[in-house]
Amino acid sequence: MSRSPRWSPLLALCATAVLVFTACGGAASPSPAASAPGSQAASQPPESVAPYDGLVYPEDGSSACGTEGYSGQIGSIKAIDAKTVEFSLCAPDAAFLSKIAFTSLAIQDSDYLTTTGGGGEALFRNPNGTGPYKMTAWTTGTEISLDTFADYWGDKPLTPKAVIKWSPEAAQRLVELTSGNVDGIDNPGPDDFATIEANPDLKLYPRTAMNIFYVGFNNNFKPFDNEKVRQAIAQGIDRQRIVDNFYPPGSEVATHFTPCDIAGGCSGDEWYPFDAAKAKSLLAEAGFPDGFTTKLHLRDVVRGYLPSPVTVAQDIQAQLKANLNITAEIDVQDATTYLTTASRGELQGIHLLGWGADYPDVTNFLDVHFGVGASDQFGKKWDDVTAPLVEGAKTADPAARAELYKTANNAIKQHVPMIPIAHGGSATVFKADVTGAHSSPLGNEALFAMKAGDRDTIIWLQNGEPGGLYCADETDGEALRACEQVFESLYRYKVGGTDPEPSLATGCEPNADSSLWTCTLRENVKFHDGATFDANDVVTTYAVQWDAKHPLHKGREGLFDYWTYLFAGFLNPPPPAP
Amino acid sequence: MTRFLIRRLLLSIPVLIGIVFVVFALARIIPGDPCVAALGERANPKTCAEYSKAHGLDKAIVPGFFRVDGKIELRVADIPATLTANQFVDYVGSVVKGDFGTSSKFGLPVTDLLLQRLPATVELALYALLFAIVVGIPLGIISAYRRNSVVDVGTMMFANLGVSTPVFVLGLVLAYLFAVTFKDTPLALPPSGRLAAGVAVIPLAKVWGLEGLGGPLRLILDFASNIYTFNAIVTFNFSLLADTFRHMILPALALGTIPLAIIARMTRSSLLDELGLDYIRTARAKGLRDRNVVMRHGFRNALLPVVTVIGLQLGGLFGGAVLTETVFNLAGVGRAVTEAIASRDYAVIQGFTLVIAVGFVIVNLIVDISYAYLDPRVRLA
Amino acid sequence: MTATAPPIPEAVAGQLVGEGRTSLWRDTLGNILRQRNAVVGLTILTFFVLVAIFADQVATHDPIAVLLGQEEGAKKLAGPCIHALGCPAAQPEHYFGIDQNVRDVFSRVVHGTRISLQIGFLTVGFAIVIGTLIGAVSGYAGGKVDNTLMRLMDVILAFPALLLAIAIVTVLGTTLLNAQLAIGIVAIPIYARIMRASVLSIKERDYVTASQALGESGGGILFRRILPNALTPLIVQGTLGIAGAVIDVAALSFLGLGAQPPTAEWGSMIGQARNSMFAAPHLVIFPGVALALTVLAFNLLGDGLRDALDPRLNR
Repeated sequence: MSRSPRWSPLLALCATAVLVFTACGGAASPSPAASAPGSQAASQPPESVAPYDGLVYPEDGSSACGTEGYSGQIGSIKAIDAKTVEFSLCAPDAAFLSKIAFTSLAIQDSDYLTTTGGGGEALFRNPNGTGPYKMTAWTTGTEISLDTFADYWGDKPLTPKAVIKWSPEAAQRLVELTSGNVDGIDNPGPDDFATIEANPDLKLYPRTAMNIFYVGFNNNFKPFDNEKVRQAIAQGIDRQRIVDNFYPPGSEVATHFTPCDIAGGCSGDEWYPFDAAKAKSLLAEAGFPDGFTTKLHLRDVVRGYLPSPVTVAQDIQAQLKANLNITAEIDVQDATTYLTTASRGELQGIHLLGWGADYPDVTNFLDVHFGVGASDQFGKKWDDVTAPLVEGAKTADPAARAELYKTANNAIKQHVPMIPIAHGGSATVFKADVTGAHSSPLGNEALFAMKAGDRDTIIWLQNGEPGGLYCADETDGEALRACEQVFESLYRYKVGGTDPEPSLATGCEPNADSSLWTCTLRENVKFHDGATFDANDVVTTYAVQWDAKHPLHKGREGLFDYWTYLFAGFLNPPPPAP
Repeated sequence: MTRFLIRRLLLSIPVLIGIVFVVFALARIIPGDPCVAALGERANPKTCAEYSKAHGLDKAIVPGFFRVDGKIELRVADIPATLTANQFVDYVGSVVKGDFGTSSKFGLPVTDLLLQRLPATVELALYALLFAIVVGIPLGIISAYRRNSVVDVGTMMFANLGVSTPVFVLGLVLAYLFAVTFKDTPLALPPSGRLAAGVAVIPLAKVWGLEGLGGPLRLILDFASNIYTFNAIVTFNFSLLADTFRHMILPALALGTIPLAIIARMTRSSLLDELGLDYIRTARAKGLRDRNVVMRHGFRNALLPVVTVIGLQLGGLFGGAVLTETVFNLAGVGRAVTEAIASRDYAVIQGFTLVIAVGFVIVNLIVDISYAYLDPRVRLA
Repeated sequence: MTATAPPIPEAVAGQLVGEGRTSLWRDTLGNILRQRNAVVGLTILTFFVLVAIFADQVATHDPIAVLLGQEEGAKKLAGPCIHALGCPAAQPEHYFGIDQNVRDVFSRVVHGTRISLQIGFLTVGFAIVIGTLIGAVSGYAGGKVDNTLMRLMDVILAFPALLLAIAIVTVLGTTLLNAQLAIGIVAIPIYARIMRASVLSIKERDYVTASQALGESGGGILFRRILPNALTPLIVQGTLGIAGAVIDVAALSFLGLGAQPPTAEWGSMIGQARNSMFAAPHLVIFPGVALALTVLAFNLLGDGLRDALDPRLNR
């Protein structure tokens, strides 16, 4: 049920890459990708031995960049020969390698996509990937069974078999682990960390996450239309107390909205310190010396940014009363209705919400919430916030961006659309005899890299059941993690880490300004059904997601949500709803 | 007798129609929509409007009522146009054809999901009921026999303790006790699930080479395959039987305490009623041993209402195991519906609830008919 | 049995004739107290009722007061500390320990008594009022009205109670009132059927025909002849129904669909604590035991009442 945010500090690499490129002026840059010997430079088409019927997208060979109604980042994808694919982008993208390593871009066999029609039960219940495990059975509601893929190109999984199970209750997961029935669990309850660490049979692997939990206001409703009121509340909540008491170790108080690991995220002044006296006097100045009554809206859903929603809400309620004499009546809403009401700007009181990163960039945090295209969740927008954000999204120079985000962050601090409270950590727990156990900042635990003692099956218990295993159309972290065991993308993230490294591609070389990337594919790779992997599979996999009018653009829910987060837009998007 | 049967059957029809309508209406007036449920924080109005259109959710629900942006709107002007062009009519039409739709969360046909989840609940219900009968009836007899004594109070307290303790507390405590405290002892029991991880159950169709079979027979076969106890016995797979049994003990105990109290109570009061009748007095006056009087004469006649109650409990257990299934992580029908409500999976909510309710009506019907068959006085009423 | 005789449930009529004119209610009470089940149930219930009435006095702290920063040494999730039983004097005394929001569990359990009893009576009261109305109309009117109403009751009964309640609460919004409404709606058919059965069994009796001949109104007959007859099964079923209502609302609160925080309702206390069971079992045990005892009391009382009031039992 809870989605682990993907994309943690893989931006350390992105930031470095961007800095290096701009510093060196783009010439002769050290490639961020490990290159296999013999990889070609971008602009020279390789010699083909036999003519290869390589697919090209868009099919007429043109570039989609600049065409009417197209806002995406990809211009064209071409299969030059059986083992070379060329990506042409509309703008330089130094983070390309991190993007193509993402699970939703896992490579599918083009024939398989065609026979399944790009969607339907056959595709998302019978995954056909290239990964070290292959799926042998999926008992709905209970478990997914995996077995070693005999023809895998790389190292065999350390444990021959794997089973993925799920349980939405943290205490139940811990009982399963402590009773010895499973080998590893996800997201232990925050109160159980001490118990786990005291147990010699278990080992805790903390996981830093890229998320933010905040207390929001809608400035269209009284008394939150008064900036002094918002500023008063900002100083009247002891955020350290919340993090100390209700978050697992590894969490931190937020100094800014965006986690500091993201370049430019923490530029500008730090958030107000807790000062109850000052807060009270400011509130009196604003015209509420005796406080006021309001509502505290939330939804009771566990997320990485908020592992104990109701508990935290009650503490905030108590603090508001004690420090500011504000009486807040708690209103726990249904999870789905809450999101709709929030984004429509209909929550009149204080509301609790958060965000987990999809993509490690400030735009995925600030722009989504406070930019020009953001929803009405916080009410009216401010120009001194939206203007620098618009500029920042267009600028490549990290120093210039940092300056712009400093302006934006300071403006946000002054206007207080919300109060950033915490960046929530989490963890995985494994039996002590599981070697290679780890937690992944992206929620990408690699079961194939773990050895479960001397047992032949490693059993992993996560939060929820995957909806389906067609990675391109999945958004839930539970599904993406399962996909990671049986599928591979052109690149992959280091096990337990965030740096991209070659996977199905032996290397991807950028051209001078990182707008053209040429990937050399690995040879002798087979899919689970025996088909061979070649460049056309790559082009088809990408094209099917990219082109909304592609006959195979079906999927499971038909949303292909991650494509927009990675590459901004679909080709031939449907017309906007009236 | 036939007239009674026909009358009861005819009376069931409006009930069934009413059930379909209530199920549909209730599911559809739940605010919020499946797209937002699926995408969570990442939901945006544009994507979800597309989704609505693609899945026919922007059509009228019932004449005049539309769902806009997750809220229900009444457009009186559109009522005549949408009298037959609405989702309810579509739904009834497809149900009549046997098509319960496709789950928006899993993308699978609802019938497939039913075939996988219903057997789990049926198996749990049967185990729970078995436990309730085996323990409940003797408790009721003892209580009745020693009415108003300390034994009576004691056994009734014991019987009622189960129904008074919330299942979620009982389940958690039992799971912790048997899985963690008794770990590595012979008393250890698995805290959740139906089988140990990785154990594969071979469908009966495969074992008997009947994979070519289709239609309702195949459905029944698949359903029976998923009742693991049945599957194990029929294929002489004793390790599967043992595994299933071990996994069922705790949930059956936790869930069974509820019908146990009701069966014990019913046995007690029914037996007391019988024992107050004249013929019992006569038997006693004739000098028959009291134990014979109670068991051979009284009990058999008292059994009838008890059997009725058992039948009704079975129907109720199918849908009422939500909490047990949650606490013990069993993939049953109750939990499926609760999760479907959370993710606004209309097809599953409607299909599953419909099947549960219809099942209950059918069980009720059977119980009524057998009661009438066995007790002529009821027929003539 | 004349038309002008006061309404006497048939159950006790026979006794009156035999034993002379004693007070009806004193007799019934005597019967009840002779049932051991009822006595045990009544005792436990009286205890809880007293706790509920004097909750403010019995509780040691404010049930919703967060003690973080207010009380010296109050630690989150601390176990029970009773100075008389050996807990060091430096630690603040909390009979049932401290919960995850640093509040006193004992005070919350005590106030929860008040809330649970209110829930039980309100829910069943609502169901009885509506149910008897429907049942009376249905039984008295007969024919098509009877058929329609009873089919409607069948439809409600066909749904599993908890699932229907979850659906209703999700539609109406998650508040304690809506949870009670949902459980109440689900319980209506039971009382409707009881009332209808009573009406049907009395309707054709001679004294009713006589009343009608004398010009007594339908409503009068309903209230003075029929209702007293239905009273016994209604009371018995109602008592058992309260037990069920308390547990069902607790179940909804456990699922997060009932009592809203920071209300100290037992079900929601257990629900919020269920993931801290390893670290703090006292958060589940104390409210759980309180809930179990209260419901047990109502169940035993209901059983005892049935024994006492059922005319067919061999006394």
